[in-house]
Amino acid sequence: MNEPKIIDHLFRHQYGKMVSILTRIFGFENLELIEDAVQDTFINAMLVWRKQIPENPEAWLTQAAKNRAVDLFRKLSAENKRKAHFDSGPAAISFQNLFLEHEIEDSQLRMIFTACHEALKPQDQIAFALKTISGFSSKEIASALLLKEETIKKRLSRARKTIAEKNIAFQIPQGKELPTRLNRVLEIIYLIFNEGFHSNKQEILIRKDLCGEALRLCKFLLKNTFTRTPSVYALFALLCFHSSRLDSKIDESNEIIDLKNQDRTKWYRPLIELGNAAMVNAFDTEEYSSYHLEAAIAFEHVIAKDFASTNWEKILMWYEKLYALQATSFSLLNIAFIHMQLDEMDKAYAILQEINPAQLEQRTYLYYGTFAEYYYRNNEKQLALQHIDDALQLVKNEFEKKYLLKKRKKILGT
Amino acid sequence: MKKFMLLFIGQEYDQLGLSPEQMQARMGKWFAWSNKMKEAGITAQGDALEPAIRRISGADRTVTDIAAAEVKELVGGYYIVTAKDFDHASEIAQDYPDYDLGGTVEIREIMVFDQ
Repeated sequence: MNEPKIIDHLFRHQYGKMVSILTRIFGFENLELIEDAVQDTFINAMLVWRKQIPENPEAWLTQAAKNRAVDLFRKLSAENKRKAHFDSGPAAISFQNLFLEHEIEDSQLRMIFTACHEALKPQDQIAFALKTISGFSSKEIASALLLKEETIKKRLSRARKTIAEKNIAFQIPQGKELPTRLNRVLEIIYLIFNEGFHSNKQEILIRKDLCGEALRLCKFLLKNTFTRTPSVYALFALLCFHSSRLDSKIDESNEIIDLKNQDRTKWYRPLIELGNAAMVNAFDTEEYSSYHLEAAIAFEHVIAKDFASTNWEKILMWYEKLYALQATSFSLLNIAFIHMQLDEMDKAYAILQEINPAQLEQRTYLYYGTFAEYYYRNNEKQLALQHIDDALQLVKNEFEKKYLLKKRKKILGT
Repeated sequence: MKKFMLLFIGQEYDQLGLSPEQMQARMGKWFAWSNKMKEAGITAQGDALEPAIRRISGADRTVTDIAAAEVKELVGGYYIVTAKDFDHASEIAQDYPDYDLGGTVEIREIMVFDQ
């Protein structure tokens, strides 16, 4: 068949584009109206395309967005509401120009930066970004984040309310404000990625979607000269490296495979290469962000042929730098783990002693898990068992629980 | 070969709160279905219908306008397909994509008059 093919996620991505352009024109106060109008466009497309797919589905949808803008303009004028922001700002870009590719991208960047405004709570920022930029429904966000749909709806409406109340401008901040906000944007992208990467959700698809979205958002930032910073490159590299092994993390029976036992030939090479290229740009600076250091660590893992040939000394150095930058218990835990790989058991023990498990919050089980590993390696079976049981008490994620149970068997077996 | 009308009855898409991704996936299923028919040499023609309903009834020709939201089920579209018999037509209807949304297909043979 010679039917034009519709690219993956076209609707979802187009949703974000259309909402962004229309918000730029009509302002946040009309966001709900805009979202309904865009939703309508897709329902129409779905019915009309059934008969005949347009030659260029994307152009069809962009034209539809233009038509919706005209509809909305009429509707709002009729209701005597505020006029559309056609001529606001010094640029006074004409209506037609707003639908050109680079202006669409600009609108989307504005949406990203607005979603990450510091007046919004981080959890609301994630939900709002996934909805308005990425085109996820509340239901999809709920299932991706393992939350109730009601919770997501609350977060979305709280985010909308905050934006309206604080009168947050739909723009990319400039000057001194830009780096601060950009950091926040990176944080949110990082969080979205982690939700996908570490989620215990059985549905692998939605997890991959979250990781893919994080990568896509990063790419947006890299396209724009103002937001193309070494830290963005570093985050992009980090996400590429991690994504490359998304498929080898979990086996057919839905069990976690740890780094040691993953089939490294299954790691997706093109992503690793993309990450490598980004690393070159990322390290074109003297100032390293945590993303630089995490990317460097991930890099060491992806270039190691197998677990045994991992360059632990180098990874240790990066982790120590990371700890110097952000003194988190999580870094300490990793440092202790690396000392164990290097057979420096005394050092590992000393570091583990330094950790305050309460600071690890929901990941406290990792602390007991690492301690269990320590005692196991030291042939102190009783203590190892005790700690693995502590970890099992605390772990919530079913995947990780299975993993710990396997480890427990291993301890008992020797 | 005979002609059959497949009537698609169900809730309006608008009321179902589908996400963009779900809509695209659903559209893909419709394409797959129509491709499958084409390859099997079955001609299928049809349209989707707008949701607004105007009903004229009775001797008084009473006019009622009904919004789609007021009815649970409405005819959302139709296909006219060529098929050997009812069984063949229902076989074709197996691939209708919206059963999971509570949709129904009603199959009616198109009457042919022999003079």
